Amino acid sequence: MSPWLRQHGFALRAALSTARKAPGSFLFNVLVVAVALALPFAGLTLLDNVRPMSAQIAIDPEISLFIKTDATRAQAQALAPRLRQILKDSQASIVFVPREQALKALKNKSGLSDVLATLGDNPLPDSYVITLRGFSSARDAGRIDTLAQQMRAVPGVDAVQVDSAWIKKLAALLHVLHMALLLLGITLGVIVIAVVFNTIRLQVLTQREEIAVSKLLGATDNFIRRPFYYTGALLGLCAGAAALAAVTLALNPLNTAIAQLSQLYGSDFQLAPLAPGGIAILLAISAGLGLAGAMLSVWRHMARLH
Amino acid sequence: MIEFQSVSKQYSAHAIALRDVTLNIAKGELVYLTGPSGAGKSTLMKMAAAIERPSSGRITVNGQDIGKLKKAGIPFLRRNLGLIFQDQRLLDDRDILANTMLPLLVTGAPRALAEQRARAALDKLGLLDRAKAHPLELSGGEQQRAAIARAIVNRPQIILADEPTASLDRVAAAKVIDALRAFHSAGVTCVISTHDEHVLTNAARVIRLEHGQVTGGAA
Repeated sequence: MSPWLRQHGFALRAALSTARKAPGSFLFNVLVVAVALALPFAGLTLLDNVRPMSAQIAIDPEISLFIKTDATRAQAQALAPRLRQILKDSQASIVFVPREQALKALKNKSGLSDVLATLGDNPLPDSYVITLRGFSSARDAGRIDTLAQQMRAVPGVDAVQVDSAWIKKLAALLHVLHMALLLLGITLGVIVIAVVFNTIRLQVLTQREEIAVSKLLGATDNFIRRPFYYTGALLGLCAGAAALAAVTLALNPLNTAIAQLSQLYGSDFQLAPLAPGGIAILLAISAGLGLAGAMLSVWRHMARLH
Repeated sequence: MIEFQSVSKQYSAHAIALRDVTLNIAKGELVYLTGPSGAGKSTLMKMAAAIERPSSGRITVNGQDIGKLKKAGIPFLRRNLGLIFQDQRLLDDRDILANTMLPLLVTGAPRALAEQRARAALDKLGLLDRAKAHPLELSGGEQQRAAIARAIVNRPQIILADEPTASLDRVAAAKVIDALRAFHSAGVTCVISTHDEHVLTNAARVIRLEHGQVTGGAA
């Protein structure tokens, strides 16, 4: 084994020894950092579960296309091939709705038959109702808008209404959640760094005699710093593991409650724990935050000891 | 091996620790550095170990110019020095064996080798049976011998002992000096600072310092 590796082994043992010498203090610090990490981890787990669910929502958006009122029935029906051409790359059903049928439906639906009867002439235009299929995610809202735009440009078309607004809202909401989670993660990451910074500061001060003696015996700065780096990374790693364990354990009672709600909507939706890859990334981030806190602290306080 | 050329150390306008000190210590010499308290003995030892830098002048240790030595090079200079302090500076939270192993572990030596050599060093100092004792469980003389064991464990070329007998009784002091003389006999260059005249009995070379100036034995 190379001296470099041996020195890392020495540093790791020193870090573990520090944790063993004051287990209560180490566990308390792990707990504090774990609490800070648990919130973004829980948010990530939720987002990780909701994101695919939102992508699977069957929305079958509708486009209502109104023909100009001065167009004849023949002219209105002649638009169908042009619309099919626009929709050639999409799965869609095109239904022509004559103005008489539209009025009849309006009377039946709204209960305003008396008021509508006073209008005399039918004010409604001929229209097409286009139901899009395969547009199953919030991400497709942009495509729907493009189709609507093309339809508006067709001669004889008076107006086009798209019911994609709620899809956009869902996409925007997910984006806001994502951003909020990111900001929360950054804020709590700073808190983790601050907690580790302070923990390592106390350790540097407690071990200043050992640091001074080691330097007199020929220890390099790196040799002295490494055990603190390992302590910080270990603290972050243990806290990350504790936070993930807490979030995973919390899924059980939460899923029981979610199951009751899902059944009402005929769904079997359940929150699943993060995939092993995601867990590994979060543990690496936790250890990285601990390491960053330790590096900042050692850099600042060792300079003062010199 | 150790050369001071016109070295001065001034902490402030009114605190001058060394004034224009010039001395030369050859390889394999046993040199005593003596003088009253405040004469500058400890400052001289600290500068030889690159713990402090001179305000002016040039210090060469083992062929390395201390003034020109970069910060990163200091640990490697010290690995060839055995430093012994009046207050021992043993770490109380670990046993004597672990204290003695430390100079080797900081160099990246294998743990087994470090332990083997630490035990050998403690054996030489008559402390092997106290290897698992903590510093506070030892007498002052034993602590100082443990500090010597730690200083010699990495087989240094030079031992710098700053007042190693200052807090010891006559018997314990004699044991410590005998141990240092034994290492000198094995070819190690030893510089021992002391204000105890008894220690200087039969000394081949004594450098005297007063008010930061060499008053005898510099050559």
